[in-house]
Amino acid sequence: MASGSRTQHQRFLRLFTTHEPAIRAFVRRLVPSRTDADDILQEVAIVLWEKFDEFREGGDFKAWACGIARYKVLAWLRDRGRDRLVLDSDVVEIIATQSLEQEPVLQQQREHLEDCLESVPHAERKLLAQAYQPGAVIREVAAASGRSVGGFYQWLHRMRQMLLNCVKRRLAPEGA
Amino acid sequence: MNTDRSLEQLVQKYLDGTATPDDMERLNERLRNDEAARQWFIELLNVDSAVAATLVDDPDADQAVPAPVAPATSASPRPSLLPRRGIVTMAAPVLVASCLALLLALGLLLPNPQPFAQVVSAAGVSGMPNNEIGDGRWIAIDAGTIELKTARDAQIVIEAPARFRFLSGQKLQLDSGRLAASVPPSARGFTVVTPSGDAVDLGTRFGVDVPDDGQAEIHVFEGEVIAQPTRSRQHRSLTGGQALRMTDGPDTDRELRSAAFIHPDEIGSLHAALADGQVGRAAAALEHLRRDPTLIALLDFEDSALPQGTYRMVQGRWPGSRAPEFAHVGDHIKLNVGSNQEWPQLTLAAWVRLDRLGDPYQSLLHTDGWDRSSPGQVHWMVTRHTTMRLALYGNTLTPDAIEPDGYPDSRTSVLPEQGRWMHLATVYDAQRRTVRFYLNGQFDSETHQQIAHPARLGAAQIGNWNRQDRKLSGRIDELVLLGRALDDDEILQLYEAGNPYR
Repeated sequence: MASGSRTQHQRFLRLFTTHEPAIRAFVRRLVPSRTDADDILQEVAIVLWEKFDEFREGGDFKAWACGIARYKVLAWLRDRGRDRLVLDSDVVEIIATQSLEQEPVLQQQREHLEDCLESVPHAERKLLAQAYQPGAVIREVAAASGRSVGGFYQWLHRMRQMLLNCVKRRLAPEGA
Repeated sequence: MNTDRSLEQLVQKYLDGTATPDDMERLNERLRNDEAARQWFIELLNVDSAVAATLVDDPDADQAVPAPVAPATSASPRPSLLPRRGIVTMAAPVLVASCLALLLALGLLLPNPQPFAQVVSAAGVSGMPNNEIGDGRWIAIDAGTIELKTARDAQIVIEAPARFRFLSGQKLQLDSGRLAASVPPSARGFTVVTPSGDAVDLGTRFGVDVPDDGQAEIHVFEGEVIAQPTRSRQHRSLTGGQALRMTDGPDTDRELRSAAFIHPDEIGSLHAALADGQVGRAAAALEHLRRDPTLIALLDFEDSALPQGTYRMVQGRWPGSRAPEFAHVGDHIKLNVGSNQEWPQLTLAAWVRLDRLGDPYQSLLHTDGWDRSSPGQVHWMVTRHTTMRLALYGNTLTPDAIEPDGYPDSRTSVLPEQGRWMHLATVYDAQRRTVRFYLNGQFDSETHQQIAHPARLGAAQIGNWNRQDRKLSGRIDELVLLGRALDDDEILQLYEAGNPYR
């Protein structure tokens, strides 16, 4: 790691902090679970820092980082994909390409999510927060909410779909 | 969004981890060949990632879910305190340290079981029962200053009136009030959430001011902070010396107002003076002053009737006391005393906390008039050269004077005291034709006048003059005007009695 200077470190942190949600979301689209995405992102962060000297000032950090993240995801699929229910690597390639093309819109969708979440009734929002906490056990959250595990997954899926509809509505042009 | 039921079921199973190899084959097939299916899939997972990012610090959830255990959806265990891979292969400890700092900053480590913060001290504050803050409950303080230390050693000073809560050990939500933070590398990434946006620290000292309208200002004293305004979503990197106001509309750059915040390194000496009973001594000295027959005006801003003007009341020299703060051009207090009266001797003194120096002039007191109709009108200010000035209309310097602008100026720059309360005093004597300057009770210099009119006051403004080239950035406490010349000892006593530091 040649780029040991403090300013270089700060510059990296600044760029990474700024683009982390986009990189995380990019990885998330390619792997089955958020935990998988967390694990991969952790490795991506280290590789990005190691290779930071190769990144040129003024370049597109997000694109550079997503390029490395894509490579890491494919390696992860290759290593652990055989015994896991993951997407085929050619499908992952198509999704990666398409989602990078659409990143500006996807970013806007992410940005509108917070407003959409505010419209979720408090009790449901709380449940959602519990299900999305790192390390949450869906079985336990479901039991605490009085639902079956299957029912809880159904509910989670409906919430995701509802939130997606909400952010898309917010991005639609007036009167559309 | 025209998704069919079978695709929805496949995706749901994939996300739940319950898909069979057959299901995966069908899902791969759909995503490979069906553009619309792929589009919906991408957007759905994009939203999933955003939900996780938004809700990860939700205090409700922290309380409700017992201990973090292995996730149901993945075969791999959660990372423990150190990441499993990568770190261990690195040799030099310094690299480990910097990567660890990086990972801390990225919030990739598990939440710390310690409380969010400890209350180090609370001065002039009531209703702070605990010395530990361990949950996400709102805390409101009406008066005083509290000093906190987070689990990762970020030092935070919050000035009343304020309303805040911790969302996690690394995230503080500030609804209103004023906060100064000193963040060591171990707490890098510490974030202040405000109604108009977030301030994300990158290892630094910074301040956040949230007035009642909720439009927060971020001031970076040292290092770097990322500003993430809620509305524009344009991230901005602010470095030492920069300030930004995050608004509903376009964000606006602001002048750095470093002294608008009580800094962590200042609070120790403030509290020592308080514990030492300095407030009582200051009050006794004020009572003594009030009985001085030559007293023209004494503004301590503790009355319920406040003087007219445009300004914001904030904390004064003592935790729990009050003082006006001036921030914008035109902010001022009106003071109309002694019109049609002449003062052969005049002492002006005030406790001042200047936020910035240099351009423009910092106005302490300016008579509205400045013209030949009444010679002796008084203008008292800190110049753009950071010295104190007392100008009287029609007065002239003696030929041997060294002042560059033709007015009596102090010698010592007020710069070293910037960021703290300082005592400024000027003594004018028309008979002796002298202007004497004092900084923090210490005599600075004396200037001789060739022509010396008796001083005239009347309608005047504190903190502004009717010209764009001067304003005041900062607070004023205990402004005193006396119709006699105090001597060196009296000025020193004035300073020592009112000094908020020990």
